[in-house]
Amino acid sequence: MRASRSIFTIKTPWLAVLALAAVLGAPAVSAKPEVGQPAPAFSVTDTTGKTWDLPAVAGKTVVLEWTNHDCPYVRKHYDSGNMQALQKEATGQGVLWLSVISSAPGKQGNVSPAEADALTKTRVAAPTAVLLDPTGTMGQAYGAQTTPHLYVIDATGTLVYMGGIDDRPTSSQADIPGAKNHVRAALADLAAGKPVATAVTRPYGCSVKY
Amino acid sequence: MPLLLILLFLPWLAWANPVTTEHVTARLLAERQSAAPGQPAELLLVLDIRPHWHTYWRNPGDSGEAPRVEWTLPAGVTAGPLGFPHPELIRVGPLANYGYSGRALHPVTIQVPADWPIGAPLTLRAAAQWLVCEEFCVPESAVLDLTLPTAAVPGPADPASAEPFAAARAGLPTGTIADAVLDRPSAAAGGGLRLTVPWTGARPAEVWYFSGVWGLIDHAAPQPWREDAGRLLIDLTPGAASSQTDPDGVLVTRADDGRVQSFTLSPTAPSAVPTDVAAPPLGLALALGMAFLGGLILNLMPCVFPVLAIKALGLAQQAGLGTAARVGQGLAYTAGVLVFFGLIAGLLLALRAGGAAVGWGFQLQYPPVVAGLAYLFLVLGLSLAGAVTLGGRLMGLAGGAVPGRRGHGLAEAFWTGALAALVAAPCTAPFMGAALGYAVTLPWLPALAILLTLGLGLAAPFLLVSAVPFLARRLPRPGAWMDTLKQLLAFPMFATAAWLIWVLSVQTGPTGVALVLTGLLMLSFGLWLRERTALGSDRRRLAGGAAALAALAVALWLAVLTAQSVPVAPSAAGRGTHTSGLVSEPYTPEQLAAARAQGRPVFVNMTAAWCITCLVNERVALDTAAVAAAFARGQVRYLKGDWTNRDAAITDYLAGFGRNGVPLYVFYPPGEPPRVLSQVLTPAGVIAALAPTIPPNQSQPEE
Repeated sequence: MRASRSIFTIKTPWLAVLALAAVLGAPAVSAKPEVGQPAPAFSVTDTTGKTWDLPAVAGKTVVLEWTNHDCPYVRKHYDSGNMQALQKEATGQGVLWLSVISSAPGKQGNVSPAEADALTKTRVAAPTAVLLDPTGTMGQAYGAQTTPHLYVIDATGTLVYMGGIDDRPTSSQADIPGAKNHVRAALADLAAGKPVATAVTRPYGCSVKY
Repeated sequence: MPLLLILLFLPWLAWANPVTTEHVTARLLAERQSAAPGQPAELLLVLDIRPHWHTYWRNPGDSGEAPRVEWTLPAGVTAGPLGFPHPELIRVGPLANYGYSGRALHPVTIQVPADWPIGAPLTLRAAAQWLVCEEFCVPESAVLDLTLPTAAVPGPADPASAEPFAAARAGLPTGTIADAVLDRPSAAAGGGLRLTVPWTGARPAEVWYFSGVWGLIDHAAPQPWREDAGRLLIDLTPGAASSQTDPDGVLVTRADDGRVQSFTLSPTAPSAVPTDVAAPPLGLALALGMAFLGGLILNLMPCVFPVLAIKALGLAQQAGLGTAARVGQGLAYTAGVLVFFGLIAGLLLALRAGGAAVGWGFQLQYPPVVAGLAYLFLVLGLSLAGAVTLGGRLMGLAGGAVPGRRGHGLAEAFWTGALAALVAAPCTAPFMGAALGYAVTLPWLPALAILLTLGLGLAAPFLLVSAVPFLARRLPRPGAWMDTLKQLLAFPMFATAAWLIWVLSVQTGPTGVALVLTGLLMLSFGLWLRERTALGSDRRRLAGGAAALAALAVALWLAVLTAQSVPVAPSAAGRGTHTSGLVSEPYTPEQLAAARAQGRPVFVNMTAAWCITCLVNERVALDTAAVAAAFARGQVRYLKGDWTNRDAAITDYLAGFGRNGVPLYVFYPPGEPPRVLSQVLTPAGVIAALAPTIPPNQSQPEE
């Protein structure tokens, strides 16, 4: 199953990926993430220096949230308190919420561990951890395109959702009430033991600043 | 107070035309100096963008947002949608956007009502919002006011607007190319999308396809293309939601002389088979082949054993017949299998369409069906044993076996086939699991084709023996031995009835068993009465028949009552310590998640009381000392899911592996993806599957 996809991946952006991987010293990206398949591997340290990877989160439902505090689309959901509410709701149910910052050094959104912790504090955010991915390795393994871009991994390590936070792709806070929050719906489906009904949606926001 | 006043009036300062924001100067232009009632008027939103910044197309690509306009128009005046000339590809690191740099032009057509008073100016207000990005993004907005005079006929073109209008029109698609074809990703094409566009002009120097919707293609991927016999063949990389997205987009070409053209494409997607879903990507041809093979193998599975007995009789009976009659019987048997498989499949698909979480073999999850089958097998057994004589159609169910009564041959063969299908259906055999799981995800027609091919496989050996004279000649001659065989075969029938009652005991507990045993008693008594009166006067025969019918009615009513009985302990088959010392826990998604979280290896067994293949596997492979020792060594948590009754969580779990039936065996090594085991287990096979997590040959057993 995966072999056929890998062959395809080799056919097109292989050279580019290889070159990039060589430059960054990162492992080659073998395949694009797909819902229903095992989530791509990662190994990234958080603001406290702790390393997070798939074995560390095995058996738990995980939400990955790509973020960049200066992006207007991220601000839409943090200034309104929408993102924090979702984080608290999820972590309250035993879900691990990992915010990921893939902004490269010198680019918008790139922060030091101390700055990231200060942002969490001032915004009263409630992620389980904030992962710092300045090389963009994890972001590219997941194909993270925008901030915010959200992924849900179930307890068996399968990617079950990827896409936008909701169905109103705007930067206006006025669009939050009445929007269908895809992440909340995916977590509810998982909690009910059902397959995630809406598994892939268009992520919207600023580009990830690789 | 003064501050409040300033704040109140601040918006008025921005109500102008043009409006300059930090990164953009926005203008609203009219093509002509005045508009006429009853006629359209062309407007243009112009965004002059700061160098190195850009705004977005209707599909912004990997990130970004298309501009939007909210209109405030006089009563009766309407505005059409915002137009989007073809975009350029803007690469941002590994990502790509579709957008505009320098200047973005968005034409809009407004409609002026016919009764608009000539001379009264139109006051048009456009509240425009856009996202503008360089390395980072800023949402901006402006309220643009335009007052357009009206006259009896549209006024002359506004010279100031001529150039931007011409540029906007040049960027809009020249036309639509019909008959473009987008081939969906398929294993055959290496997983890629192939766009085929009819092309009559000179070979372009550059070609790029912009998808109008997110998710269809990977926006950043290269688009290798070639020209071939009047067509452009463009290879695209599928996006994240390729199979769920309708193709729609714009093809942009650049000629050798630098002239750029764009064309609207709404390619048809002929092979829209959803190969991208979570189910294993099994082609229809392969699934059909596997279904046929599965049907063949079904003849050898333990769950079909009772039917083999019936078939053996049928074959013996055929020995005395001519080729034509034999072929007729073989075809009738095949028809019986197919009709019943068709009925079960139709019901399954109908229930699925109704949203019910059902799987193959679901009919045995309904206790009255199990009770009814127990009745049927008891009666067949009694008939074969010679305790009751049944005429006509019921006799046919038992395989006939009366060589002299050839008139009923075809009907008998048909009903034997039907019975084979009914009993064989619950057990998915090896090779069939994936085919069935694939089948139920398909639309009606292919799904039905797969299930019927399965039936064809089941019927094939019988049909072959019937139709090939050489094989038929090998059959023994009929004789007195057939009567002995017939009586002997009563016992597999009784055994099946006993098994069905046991299944019922798991499903409904003691209450259901009591009901069905009473029903069996009533039925036996009714048949005995009928038998005793069969040779008497017409009146007595009628009374006996009526008594038998009444007994049957009561028995069926009792069978229906079993539906209301509930098992004493749900998932009774899921819990327990087995003779080998194997300890199982009932499967729940939470248990599985918790066990995985502990970092322990997990073995999941999905089974059902009515699945004999499952029970045989447990008996000969799982519930053995060797496997129990291996599980103990590796501290394997053994989760058992019992699908005897309907269970949506287990149906979901099976669906997650592309399956729609039991058995299913899955081993989860810690921190690794799960491994699916074969549907026919041996102790050595199970232990091999556990390696390398649990080494097979541990020299010192830890028990």
